[in-house]
Amino acid sequence: MTEFIDGPLWYFALAVFLSGVVWRMFSIFRAGSKPDLSVPRRSAAVSAVMTSLRRFVPRHEMSPRIRLQLVAGYMFHLGLFALLLFAAPHVLFLQEHLLGFGWTPMPHWAFIVTSQIAFAGLLLLWLHRVLNPVTRLISDADDHVAAVLTFVVMLTGCLALMETFTGLRVLHRFTVELLMIYFPFSRLMHAFTFIPSRAYTGAWYGRRGVDA
Amino acid sequence: MARMKFLCDAERCIECNACVTACKNENEVPWGINRRRVVTINDGSPGERSLSVACMHCSDAPCAAVCPVDCFYTTDDGVVLHDKDICIGCGYCFYACPFGAPQFPTTGAFGSRGKMDKCTFCAGGPEADNSSEERRKYGSNRLAEGKLPLCAEMCATRALLAGDGDTVSNIFRERVTWRGSSGLTWGWGVAYSKPGLRRGRGVEGKAAGKD
Amino acid sequence: MNNNKRSLTAHQDDFFSVVKALLVIVLLLSIAPQALAAGDAEPAAKVVNPGAELWREVRQREAPVAGTTQVAGMDSGVLINIRGEQWRTFRMQQLIPAAGALLGGVLGIIVLFHLIKRGLRLELGRSGNYLLRFKEIDRVLHWFVATIFIFLALTGLILLTGRVVLIPMVGHDVFSVIASASKEGHNLFGPLFLLGVIGLFIRFVSKNFPGKGDIGWLLKAGGMFGGKHPSAGFFNAGEKIWFWLVIFIGLTLSATGLILEFPFFGQDRLIIELSLVLHGVGAVLLVAGLFGHIYMGTAGMEASLESMTSGYVDANWARQHHDQWAEACEAEGAVIAGEELAKKQRLRGTKNRVPDRPAAEEGQ
Repeated sequence: MTEFIDGPLWYFALAVFLSGVVWRMFSIFRAGSKPDLSVPRRSAAVSAVMTSLRRFVPRHEMSPRIRLQLVAGYMFHLGLFALLLFAAPHVLFLQEHLLGFGWTPMPHWAFIVTSQIAFAGLLLLWLHRVLNPVTRLISDADDHVAAVLTFVVMLTGCLALMETFTGLRVLHRFTVELLMIYFPFSRLMHAFTFIPSRAYTGAWYGRRGVDA
Repeated sequence: MARMKFLCDAERCIECNACVTACKNENEVPWGINRRRVVTINDGSPGERSLSVACMHCSDAPCAAVCPVDCFYTTDDGVVLHDKDICIGCGYCFYACPFGAPQFPTTGAFGSRGKMDKCTFCAGGPEADNSSEERRKYGSNRLAEGKLPLCAEMCATRALLAGDGDTVSNIFRERVTWRGSSGLTWGWGVAYSKPGLRRGRGVEGKAAGKD
Repeated sequence: MNNNKRSLTAHQDDFFSVVKALLVIVLLLSIAPQALAAGDAEPAAKVVNPGAELWREVRQREAPVAGTTQVAGMDSGVLINIRGEQWRTFRMQQLIPAAGALLGGVLGIIVLFHLIKRGLRLELGRSGNYLLRFKEIDRVLHWFVATIFIFLALTGLILLTGRVVLIPMVGHDVFSVIASASKEGHNLFGPLFLLGVIGLFIRFVSKNFPGKGDIGWLLKAGGMFGGKHPSAGFFNAGEKIWFWLVIFIGLTLSATGLILEFPFFGQDRLIIELSLVLHGVGAVLLVAGLFGHIYMGTAGMEASLESMTSGYVDANWARQHHDQWAEACEAEGAVIAGEELAKKQRLRGTKNRVPDRPAAEEGQ
């Protein structure tokens, strides 16, 4: 079982993840857009960049209504990526199995604090999703599966913190592989699509002189 | 079967810490861990006594009683050992132990204790005797080679005794009988010669007139 | 004090420093006459080994005798620590059996109560009208703390009772993995619980001060044993007691938990053993309370779970269980008809007339 998860399943998951993401991004870009015959009032490229950046902060009118999502969202996403890229076992894994080079990982105490922040953020976001009538109405199974899967991946990773029990490490790796297989077919793709999506919107409206 | 015990003779221990060093070297324990330590009471004042302390291999070991994962076991020789593959590094054995024997590598902040490490009476662990795995995790296994723990074997004043409880206590009993009531003095003088002998050589010290 | 790691103990509780200092002084005073007597002892007199008193001190005194040592580490100067044995006895012979008895007993009582009483029904049925009981932020907070507390309770109970309960079932190797995971998870989520408890305190304290009718509610045990339902405000006395239990025990658990989790600020074994005692007792009590809380929030009381899911409760439920609050709401005209509520919830997302965002934006 350990060999299967460390070996074939890992390569399968990696293949599904990479090819799935490439295929989805390719199909999005290939769809293209209709030729825009309007007279440009503003540079589409500048607006694309501006909108991509501006969307990191909510619009003034929205901010008091989504304070929880904003704070918890940043807690979760920043925490998650700090863990993904700077946790010591992850750096070691990337160095040994994928990249061949590594970088300075964060110290153990920072790992703990970061994961606490990320957990709190994810939990708050999901609770908001199910407790707010609107978000509950517009959430489907994919949203919940993605949230739970991400939570389980983070949880198993943190349960394996002692780094001495093979069973716990393999469990974490198994859940990661599940997540990687699920990833391209779900809204988790927003990790790759959010910038193109913002840029598209920004370009589309910017060309028409709309402040979006 | 033998029942292995340590016994430290406070009248002989001179706090040279050689047992601590020998243990560290023989078992190659990591930084920050000392399976054995020498404690001096009333340091620098009359009545000062030193004792070398490590795991005492209790017959009813508190560490084994409180361990939440039950990783301790007692060998046929009466040595209390633990299985590092099962230990979760919770620290409870340290809180229960009267002698402060269990040690933890603190590799990082935030309570990230590693697996517990303690004196094994130079008897290794649950792995095959003298396997490299055993040596890496627990240090040497001198008992399997028919030797006693190195700390006691190399104690210069023979203060630290190790071995079967009966044998060790017989040696100690002999010493006490031979010393008589000379425990009134302190230091090592008493341990090595009769007061009368010293008087003859003009090295009476504090024991003068007490035979 | 001959403590060789004096600098580390700077943060240590002053109280314990004073106690230790006093005990060392007492010890020195009791040794001193012996040491002095040793100098001019008469050879003919009965000779007492000056070491005898010393060893008696080391082995039997309440306080561990601190010596000096070249080895750094927590309490490394202590020769014999007799507290450990007391802690062991407490943990193995009192805490674990008591935890099993209490938790099992509470569960048994709840099951028995449910079988006999079948929970508290809505006496008048549903009215179809609603009252807002908990705002969204309160519900998020509640479930945040609930999730974390249940996780902590599970992992904590695994660590406390696993040796007795789980090792016979799954064996040492498997349990070791479970216990390691529990320990790491427990340590990780513990500090979040503290934040949650502080949040609960801030959000709910104003409604939990003792008020009129609380004594009467308690005397009638909340109307549990028949009779007319006693009057209650927004929270009844039982809920208020649960709130204060959560706050006080929760803060105790957090404080002792932090002492245990970060053993690097000079806290010695005595403090840690005391913390373990408090942590264990508090946790078991709070989990027992949790059983009751979960029962009353779900099967034990019809239509009460809604207050924590949608946030709205049926007006009849409010009138039955919290009549003072219901009357106040009715006086304010805060009762919402069923259809109105459904409409309101559907419209809430667009109330401020924010223009719809472009559909092209995915996954935001």
